Amino acid sequence: MAPDQTNLLQGTLDMMILKSLSTGEMHGLGISRRIEQITRGTFQVKPGSLFPALHRMEEEGWLASSWGESENNRRAKYYRLTKTGRRQLDTETERWGKISLAIARALEAEG
Amino acid sequence: MAILARLKSLIRNFLGQRRSDEDIDAEVRGYAEILAEEKMREGMKPDEARRAARIELGGVEQVKEQVREARTGAWLDSLLQDVRYGARMLRKNPGFTAITVLTLALGIGANAAIFTLTYAVILKSLPVPNPQQLVRYTFRNGDQDIGFSGPLYESLRKQETTSEDLLAWTSADFAVSENGATQKVRGALMSGNGFRILELQPFLGRSFSEADDVQGGGQNGYQALLGYTCWKEHFQANPNVIGRHLAIQGKSATIVGVLPEGFEGLVAGQRVDVVLPLALDYSTEQQGGAFWLTVMGRLKPGESFQTAAANLKATEPAVREGAGSSHAFLGGFFSVFHIGVESGRSGLSLLKIRYSRPLIVLEILVGLLLLLCCANASLLVLARVSGRMREFAVRSALGAPRQRLFRQVLIEISLLSICGLAAGIVFGWGGAKFLVSMLAAIGQPPPLDVTPQTTILAFTAAITVLATLAVGTWPAVRASRIVPLLGLKQAAGMQRKSVGAWIVPAQVAVSVTLLAAASLLAASFGHLLFENAGFRPHGAVLAEIDLSATKPTGVVSTADAQKIAEAVGRVPGVDAAAAMSWPPIHDWFSAGHYFSLGPNGVVHTDMTVWPETVTPDYFAAMGTPILQGRPFSRADVTGDQVCILSASAARYFFPNEEPIGRFLYTGGADPAADGKTKIAADATFRVIAVAADAHFRSLREESPRMVYNVARKEDFNSEFFIVARGSSAGAMSGAIREVARQIAPDAAQPNVFTFDQLVASHLSRERMLMGLSGCFAGIALLLTVMGLYGLLTRSVVVRTKEIGLRLALGARPRDALALVLRQGLRLVVVGAIIGLAAALAVTRLLGSLLFGVSATNPLILAGVVAVLFSVALAASCIPAWRAARIDPMEALRYE
Repeated sequence: MAPDQTNLLQGTLDMMILKSLSTGEMHGLGISRRIEQITRGTFQVKPGSLFPALHRMEEEGWLASSWGESENNRRAKYYRLTKTGRRQLDTETERWGKISLAIARALEAEG
Repeated sequence: MAILARLKSLIRNFLGQRRSDEDIDAEVRGYAEILAEEKMREGMKPDEARRAARIELGGVEQVKEQVREARTGAWLDSLLQDVRYGARMLRKNPGFTAITVLTLALGIGANAAIFTLTYAVILKSLPVPNPQQLVRYTFRNGDQDIGFSGPLYESLRKQETTSEDLLAWTSADFAVSENGATQKVRGALMSGNGFRILELQPFLGRSFSEADDVQGGGQNGYQALLGYTCWKEHFQANPNVIGRHLAIQGKSATIVGVLPEGFEGLVAGQRVDVVLPLALDYSTEQQGGAFWLTVMGRLKPGESFQTAAANLKATEPAVREGAGSSHAFLGGFFSVFHIGVESGRSGLSLLKIRYSRPLIVLEILVGLLLLLCCANASLLVLARVSGRMREFAVRSALGAPRQRLFRQVLIEISLLSICGLAAGIVFGWGGAKFLVSMLAAIGQPPPLDVTPQTTILAFTAAITVLATLAVGTWPAVRASRIVPLLGLKQAAGMQRKSVGAWIVPAQVAVSVTLLAAASLLAASFGHLLFENAGFRPHGAVLAEIDLSATKPTGVVSTADAQKIAEAVGRVPGVDAAAAMSWPPIHDWFSAGHYFSLGPNGVVHTDMTVWPETVTPDYFAAMGTPILQGRPFSRADVTGDQVCILSASAARYFFPNEEPIGRFLYTGGADPAADGKTKIAADATFRVIAVAADAHFRSLREESPRMVYNVARKEDFNSEFFIVARGSSAGAMSGAIREVARQIAPDAAQPNVFTFDQLVASHLSRERMLMGLSGCFAGIALLLTVMGLYGLLTRSVVVRTKEIGLRLALGARPRDALALVLRQGLRLVVVGAIIGLAAALAVTRLLGSLLFGVSATNPLILAGVVAVLFSVALAASCIPAWRAARIDPMEALRYE
């Protein structure tokens, strides 16, 4: 994986996670399925990238976690947005909006 | 509890994240299970579903590893960010940073210095393989350990089974002559088996063995090994010294090797320049009454101190029996001492015996000092944090989690303490070097290694971590508890309920404790220094004369002693001079057996009388007053045997009787032993005078009962002492050296010290204790004043509006003044009460270190409290005065 791609993906993944949690708390698989759902299957998040991201974001203070039970009484860790996380989502959304607009314009100009 | 949770998370992050590891494991496995269930719902068989889930997961361990990396990465990133930010904040406030670092460095440095000394004196082992197997045998009565006599050592060596073999060691000053020049050298004698038992390899050349430890030594005389330091300093590390010939105590010896570096003998804190076989100065018959040997062994595998002690208990009677015949004349004196065994890990450490308790006391005092430094630093940091509440409130409002604010404060404090640690190590090293030089008795300081090493650095680092937590936890909690919206109000309001309200009393309490300890030690030192010693130290000098180089067989030298004393006495400027057998205030031990006969055949007998043999002018030279009778005269040297008793001896031997003209007996059969009053004494002395009691052995001890005999034909050893009194110490020293050179040209040059030097050296322990505790108390007082002043000043600033309102409503400036003084004094009263209780507990430990003053001396304790109150009052005055000068109109406008 090239470095710039990692960065892009990481930023994107963070945003996806923040977005998917904006409706309420969820466990790991739930987040993964939710991202699949809101991107209509474009993004499939594997545990190998999901979990590091979740923990990093928790360390950053964007997410908080607690143990709970899944629908079938399995023990699972649930994540939710913190106030900082919500603010981060706003910032990211805004930034992403600017970037995508800029890129779109750039591509149009070339075309 | 919030604080606990934060600390836990902090510690977890530091300790390789063990708990979060288990968490991740559970989380990933839970994920797999839920995934499998999902697949089952889609119609897969359970086995298949589980396998598919595992494949999709891609290896639990890999996922865990990735999570770990992500976590540490994120943690490190934000940590570095915080460190950079913290460093910037500290640079912006150089005053605060400098004072806090200095405060911490002081506390850490003082602890490092004292610990360095404690380590070097108490904890350090002999530099030999497996020192923990070594045992040292004691021959003691209470805390008096006199060592072993030759016959007792040999008897013990034959019968002791828990050690393979026992070695004997004794330290001595030797007169060493080479090419006609004689020098006094610190040396030691060791039995031939010593190198084998200690497993000690020479640095150069060879060591000696049992075969070499015989009268006369080998064909080149006795075999000598040089100490490493001596070899480097005096022989410029020249390897060709091996084979050189020396005359030691008039006996022939050859250098055969050099001892390993770091080995300075078995007596810790002493330097050894040369080690020789015990046979040089050993013969069973001669040495029966001298207890001069340090005996050590190495435990056999499977044996321990306990088994060795138990074994000794069983064999002691037989051991004493084995040595018995040569000790019969010692009678009761011998019977009060008992053989024991203790750890020989550090050899025989006189410093350890003398300094263990002082060092424990100092460790406690310096620990309290560190506590105080932490309290002060904490107050400073709290003030800083309060000043930054706005900043924290803003950060919190912007979404910084509490944990992050907590960590930010703790990181800043860690940066401060790391600087404090660095400065503290430097302070500590310098301090320890200085302390060792203070330990120096006359001449060289003991060879204590005080260079910082792993143990000491680890200890210092550990106390720094504790200090950081002590200083930082509360301010960090304060910062993290901020509620964003209330932030500004809180920043202003928190001063009132300031944590200073309990830090200042704690400071006062610690100060009272340190001050009390310092005052008691100072009072005790003054008592020792100024109490009537029974002789006049000022204006007198003491010279050690050693004629052994010229009288190799230890022939009596009374005639020489008299000649030297008289010649010195004739020198202009010398008022009186005398020779004496044992030196005063040297902590030496001398005992003789005397008895008297009272009316009706009552016998008074004492085995532990201090016999002092002197030449006639002794009392004038020492300045010991004669209370009754007449001093010795020249006629007493040849006439009937006479003696002079010290006052306590006179009271003991002749209770309620007139002592002058009575008789004192020594030696022979003690009439008390067989109940008969028949006198069969070896010698009879007529009492001609009673002299004042003198603290002869030690200023710290009661005056011994003394019997002064006038020196006759064969009473002096080849080593004796000259005391001279006169106007100029320098002139007297020169005169004594000159006279000694004329009368005994081949002898080593005598060492001459003034009595003032001797007293200073004798009391070096007390002086060090007094100096250090005084220093600590001074620092403590200063820190407390700073703490109180700072607290009150801030409080006046915060209460400006309130005080202004009071003044506007009719309060007089005097009331405002009283308000602040009351606030200050309330804190001091609480602290002083706690402090007095603590002081009583701590000073009890001083116990045996105090002389002439009790640990609960009410006058001193009252004085300490008075000093503290006046200082506290002074510290409160400026803030109180400021409060009184507040202008109500301005204050009410003040925000």
